[in-house]
Amino acid sequence: MALDELTREFLIESQEGLDRMERCLTELEERPTDASLIGDIFRSVHTIKGTTGFLGFKRLEKLAHAGENLLGQLREGKLLADAPTITGLLKLLDGLRSILKSIEVESTEGDGDDAGLIGLMEALQAPAQARQAVRLKAGAHRWTAAPAGAGLAPLAMAERDSGPPVQPLETAQEPVAVSSAAPAPTEAGSDDAKPRAQAPAIGTAAESTLRVDVTLLNRMMNLVGELVLTRNQVLQATASDPNMTLLSRRLDMVTADLRESVMKARMQPVSNIFSKMPRMVRDLSQSLGRRVRLHMEGQDTELDKSLLEAIKDPLTHAVRNSMDHGIEQPEVRQAAGKDPEGTLKLRASQEGSHVVIEVSDDGAGIAVERIRQKAIERGLITPQRAAQLAERELLQLIFVPGFSTAAAVTNVSGRGVGMDVVRTNVEKIGGKVEIDSRAGKGTTLRMRIPLTLAIIPALIVRSVNQSFALPQGALSELVHVPPEQAASAIEWMEGAPLYRLRGKLLPLVFLDRLLMPAGEHKPPTERDNFIAVLDADGRCFGLVVDGLADPEEIVVKPLSAVLKDIGLYSGATVLGNADLALILDPGSIAIRAGVAMSSEEDQARASEGETDAEAAKRLEYLLVEASGRQAAVPLADVLRIEQLPLSRIEYIGNRPVLNFEGQLLPVEDSGGVLAPAEGNPSERSIADRQIIVVVCREGNRHVGIAVSHVLDVAAGGDLFEAGTSQRTGGVTLLKNRVTGVVDLGGVASLPLERNAPCELGEFEEAAR
Amino acid sequence: MNASGNASNRKGKAAATLVEMCSVRLGQTLFGVPITHILEIVGSARPQPVPLAPPFVGGLVHYRGDVLTTVSLRQLLGLPPKEGAQDILVLESAGGCFGLLVDSVGEVLTVSSDDYEPNPSILDERRRALFAGAYKLRDRLLVALDPERLDPMRLSAAQMA
Repeated sequence: MALDELTREFLIESQEGLDRMERCLTELEERPTDASLIGDIFRSVHTIKGTTGFLGFKRLEKLAHAGENLLGQLREGKLLADAPTITGLLKLLDGLRSILKSIEVESTEGDGDDAGLIGLMEALQAPAQARQAVRLKAGAHRWTAAPAGAGLAPLAMAERDSGPPVQPLETAQEPVAVSSAAPAPTEAGSDDAKPRAQAPAIGTAAESTLRVDVTLLNRMMNLVGELVLTRNQVLQATASDPNMTLLSRRLDMVTADLRESVMKARMQPVSNIFSKMPRMVRDLSQSLGRRVRLHMEGQDTELDKSLLEAIKDPLTHAVRNSMDHGIEQPEVRQAAGKDPEGTLKLRASQEGSHVVIEVSDDGAGIAVERIRQKAIERGLITPQRAAQLAERELLQLIFVPGFSTAAAVTNVSGRGVGMDVVRTNVEKIGGKVEIDSRAGKGTTLRMRIPLTLAIIPALIVRSVNQSFALPQGALSELVHVPPEQAASAIEWMEGAPLYRLRGKLLPLVFLDRLLMPAGEHKPPTERDNFIAVLDADGRCFGLVVDGLADPEEIVVKPLSAVLKDIGLYSGATVLGNADLALILDPGSIAIRAGVAMSSEEDQARASEGETDAEAAKRLEYLLVEASGRQAAVPLADVLRIEQLPLSRIEYIGNRPVLNFEGQLLPVEDSGGVLAPAEGNPSERSIADRQIIVVVCREGNRHVGIAVSHVLDVAAGGDLFEAGTSQRTGGVTLLKNRVTGVVDLGGVASLPLERNAPCELGEFEEAAR
Repeated sequence: MNASGNASNRKGKAAATLVEMCSVRLGQTLFGVPITHILEIVGSARPQPVPLAPPFVGGLVHYRGDVLTTVSLRQLLGLPPKEGAQDILVLESAGGCFGLLVDSVGEVLTVSSDDYEPNPSILDERRRALFAGAYKLRDRLLVALDPERLDPMRLSAAQMA
């Protein structure tokens, strides 16, 4: 097992060489005359041969030597890189790989016999006209002669993977390859120029890069995190010292830059996994009898190393699925009036903080009707429900575990083996999977992957006198229930707490009770309740916490096994104030508290209700109170609710205005909230008084409404004037009370040029 | 464990080896941890409690960019928790790093394997499982602690059994 440094170095280098060779070989198939590709392949094999001789790996040396001879002929232009040659070279590649593997695992080359493979290399060197005869002879003793040896097992496996051994020889005259027949001469010609121009650039890139151990990178990432925290503390400590300002600002900048650089160092282009695909597609198309052209786009898109590892399997699975079930046999395609050669597209692109990876084929697509039938048969949905579901919704059913694992379903639906596995793997790293398919046109699988796993946005919440981090991904909304409203807002059904969220009952989980089952807990009526409405893999519930702090981008630190076993925490993090916080795992909390997955029926009802909800939204109002009177603001117009000290309100003449994020808001104060409170003449207390401004959209401008409290959100009912059946304006029925609706249009605009942007300077002059 | 203790004792008579132990005070007892197992000593830390964790877990501390699980020696010995900050020995064991929460860390003592005695038979079972024998100092005993026996994974497994 123990390999010396030299051998290890050799193994890594050879693997890289072979990876490059594999890439080049699949490219060579499309551009058989490209000399730079052949040169590259030759170099890879030559390097291996040279080093093995030095290290004393005789078997490897002999095999590499045979391959080198063949490649030498190709390089000199004596032979043409036709399909059988490339197939042979791929076999050579597999042979070399399995010996390397054996060296890595057992420190020996194994005692397999490579005579067959070497024979094939020699046979392929024979001039083309003489080949036909030799080829069959070579095929006869290829591989079959190999005795059973320790090092041979992987060889045999590689052989099986790439299809029946004799097949490539028998069909050698026909293009079995991925697309060897496809490239028209013109295409090949235009491509020829490109690689040659690129070649020197590749050379210099290799010289300026350095291989670094991933554990070292992880360590660096940790240390940078540490540095960030130390910096925060230094900044706090030196804030009052003017001499230090410049220094600490510099420290701040350098730390931020360093952190970014280290994060970048962990990023790798998706080409690292994409590059394995051409070979896979080639092998699969041979064994499945498909003709497939592979298109890859956006290979320089970068992703964190660990995430790249994590999506390797789902991507492989998706490609296999597309090849196996998506793209039809050439005859079938031809009969359907399609190009007999199918197209498989891999696309990677960055969208904000996510990387999107698409696998699309132009195959048969998914027969949605079949899914519908099967879903009903398996009792996943009711027939009535099935009739209503849109195609897109039905497609998502292939991700349901029970749906895709059963062979019967798979055979009929034609697709979906282990699609739930794809989804599980991608969701494990915080990603999302979508599928889109049109019968007869093709299928697209889209994976959305977060850029990095190490840093996630989270909301910091407080409970049991501690801070916890709640991943934003699962959070859908926050509801505040003050103690005086808790009695009515939180309902109990035989000990099960529930909250009516827009008319639906939401199960509640009290975090303090969950974490400290034995402790004393204040009833909800004696404390502030903040309900974080969470959706964890279909389990919807409200997590009740004591307080909310700021959202933060947190660096996830793993927990020791003992604490992982508790099951409720997915990690820990260090907050900006150097406190530690445990990261809550919403899914486990839901399971621990017994929150069930919302059933298909529920989801159905929810989506049915969606259109109604859209309509209802126009009628929803924010119920506010200003100096004892209640009023309603249309919810659709509300942008933000800001709590701020009264001193923030400034005046232009008599008009109260608010400088809000650099913009000027006219503030409507019909309720008299801004007026100094009676019997409280002290200047100071007036300035400190907190008021609430509801920021609303009115046409193209924003206006603020000063209120003393925000009470609730409620659906308004239309009121009709008695006798006339005419809808009344300006009032609505909220919670069975007639409530005035604030007329946003009536808020007078500011005395500024309408079209000019609101510049603060101007305004200050105006105020003077 | 007694067997191994005896063995080293006997060997010790042939040629005494010297061991450097970091002394640790907890309640009335003086404990010693071989310094070869100590990565670092962190003074006056306040570990963050972990709700629902096994009782021996003293909480989490931030240590060099990582989050370290600590084991409370007081809790293991059935002593009441100490108010205020405690010292932490960062120990290395087969299962990884962890912190040992102690009242205070003293000086490093050099002890001889000649002075080693295995755990006495009258020690209660829980302590016998935790301690790795004792060294006879001139005026008192130094109870040897073995980081492997204090590893949180092992403690948790023992608790399950």
